[in-house]
Amino acid sequence: MEQAVVSARGVVKRYGRTVALAGLDADIGSGITGLLGSNGAGKTTFISLVLGLRSRDEGELTVLGQDPATAGIPVRSRIGYAPEHHDLPAELSATDFVRHLAEMHLLPRRAAVQRANDALWLVGLGEERFRPVGLMSTGQRQRVKLASAIAHDPELVLLDEPTDGLDPMQRTEMLALIRRIGTEFGVHIVLSSHHLEEAERICDAVVIVEGGEVVRAGALADLRRGPEGLVVEVDERADELASILRARGLEVTADGGVLLLGAAEDAFDAVRDAVADLGVGLRRLEPRGRTLEDVYLGAGA
Amino acid sequence: MTTDARLYDLGYRGYDGPRDRPARAILTLAEFTARRVLGLGRGARHKVLPAITLAIAFIPAFFSVAFAVLVDDVVAQDLISYGDYMFIIGSALALFAALVAPEALCPDKRTGMLGLYLAGPLDRNRYLVAKGLGVVAVMFLITLGPLLFMLLAYVLAGLGPSAAETPKLLLRILAAGIVTALLYASLSMAVSSFTSRRAAAAVGVVLLLFVPVSVVRSAIESAGAPNELDLLSSPFVAFDLAYRIFGETPEDADPVTKLSTWLVTGGVLAAIVAGALVCWYRYRRLEAFR
Repeated sequence: MEQAVVSARGVVKRYGRTVALAGLDADIGSGITGLLGSNGAGKTTFISLVLGLRSRDEGELTVLGQDPATAGIPVRSRIGYAPEHHDLPAELSATDFVRHLAEMHLLPRRAAVQRANDALWLVGLGEERFRPVGLMSTGQRQRVKLASAIAHDPELVLLDEPTDGLDPMQRTEMLALIRRIGTEFGVHIVLSSHHLEEAERICDAVVIVEGGEVVRAGALADLRRGPEGLVVEVDERADELASILRARGLEVTADGGVLLLGAAEDAFDAVRDAVADLGVGLRRLEPRGRTLEDVYLGAGA
Repeated sequence: MTTDARLYDLGYRGYDGPRDRPARAILTLAEFTARRVLGLGRGARHKVLPAITLAIAFIPAFFSVAFAVLVDDVVAQDLISYGDYMFIIGSALALFAALVAPEALCPDKRTGMLGLYLAGPLDRNRYLVAKGLGVVAVMFLITLGPLLFMLLAYVLAGLGPSAAETPKLLLRILAAGIVTALLYASLSMAVSSFTSRRAAAAVGVVLLLFVPVSVVRSAIESAGAPNELDLLSSPFVAFDLAYRIFGETPEDADPVTKLSTWLVTGGVLAAIVAGALVCWYRYRRLEAFR
């Protein structure tokens, strides 16, 4: 069985009388995992425990096979972290900033210089790498943080709201970049976010946290698996199409212009023939499933 | 057609080269801190204040050396003594401390760099050790630099100690310089640990280094307070310790304080430890992760 990258069992963290994590159980495996939840759900507290920056009150936690509470420095040497905030030293150039953090993660000076440049080229800031961070846009700073998190070739990267402050185009590019780093370079990534659609786009698995507890967790494909059947959407005459399909023995539910078909062995053939007979345009034909939002809301979040 | 063509695999990839030991992170941060404080690798405006303060600290040494070289029949007694030098540059030393420690500590808290450092192979203690090393190394420029320059120049001008005495004087310079640098670094870092604002920390350092000296001296000289009160004005006691390390007395032939050497030494060391403990305690409780 594959060893979990992060494994938490009954983790409790309190701040005075406030319970931030109330017995959190989670196994984060390889690939890209979304750590989802609303603001105040306990995501950042959990990340701080993974990094060994705070001590837990109860429970067990292993990160890359070690307990960060007792082996903080060895664990953090193997982790890259990009915080949510954008407050970076303004007068430092991007390359100096990334190089410095790579050196702080124990890369020799020469390797740190080389890898800082490589990481900045990877995130699309090769031409801008000598610009002071203070003169960069929010999108560029997010990329600088990502470069600094990966420059020392960590095994695990923790990204806290990496698309915060980005416009839709920049967000798409950033997500593609994270996906590439997670798949092409084999780095395990934990993406903390409250944007469900981001996790839906690039994550292999999700852990949904609410009120300091995990309310749903697992592979995205498993969580999204819904009732069997098909979703059909046509340009027009959806009612007529529904009647034809019912006449052919299929279970059909109409939801506006969208038809939800029950499971049937010849459902695809039946839809094809009916649409051809009616002469209408077919907009969508796909297996029924659930969105991550359905999963999230279904979890009582 | 050439047969020398090569295909280079450029760009980001995995790294399987050597890695330094965790202790290396301390030295990396110490060096980064020292360079940042001195404005190295930063814009010109960041270099102005350190350069001016360093110039103020070195100017008496330059004048003394120039006097020794250019004027005939100069004897050692005509020159600034090593003990006097520490006292003369006391104000520059305090201003430098007010510049160095706030610059070393405050921006990390303000920009969130502290959280990034602690998310790497550093813990709070190692972070403080690194910052302390950086601050002390920069303080050495003032507490050791001018004295070593004077020693070298006096020796070359034939006004220095004999060859047999030079190593002993060198050790005294190192002892006085190191103790003074540690004291100023410790106190200024303790003050800087209370705020993320450089200006507030700088004002605090200046107040801590100047006000107690004035108050305590007034209390002792005018109100007849006990001499032990001098221990509360650690910079003043440090100058006294420097005089004693060099085996000198000030020009008025009175010791700076009327305390025993053991008490003076203990007072300075206690102030160094107290400053370090305050700083450590503050960082132990500091919320670095956001």
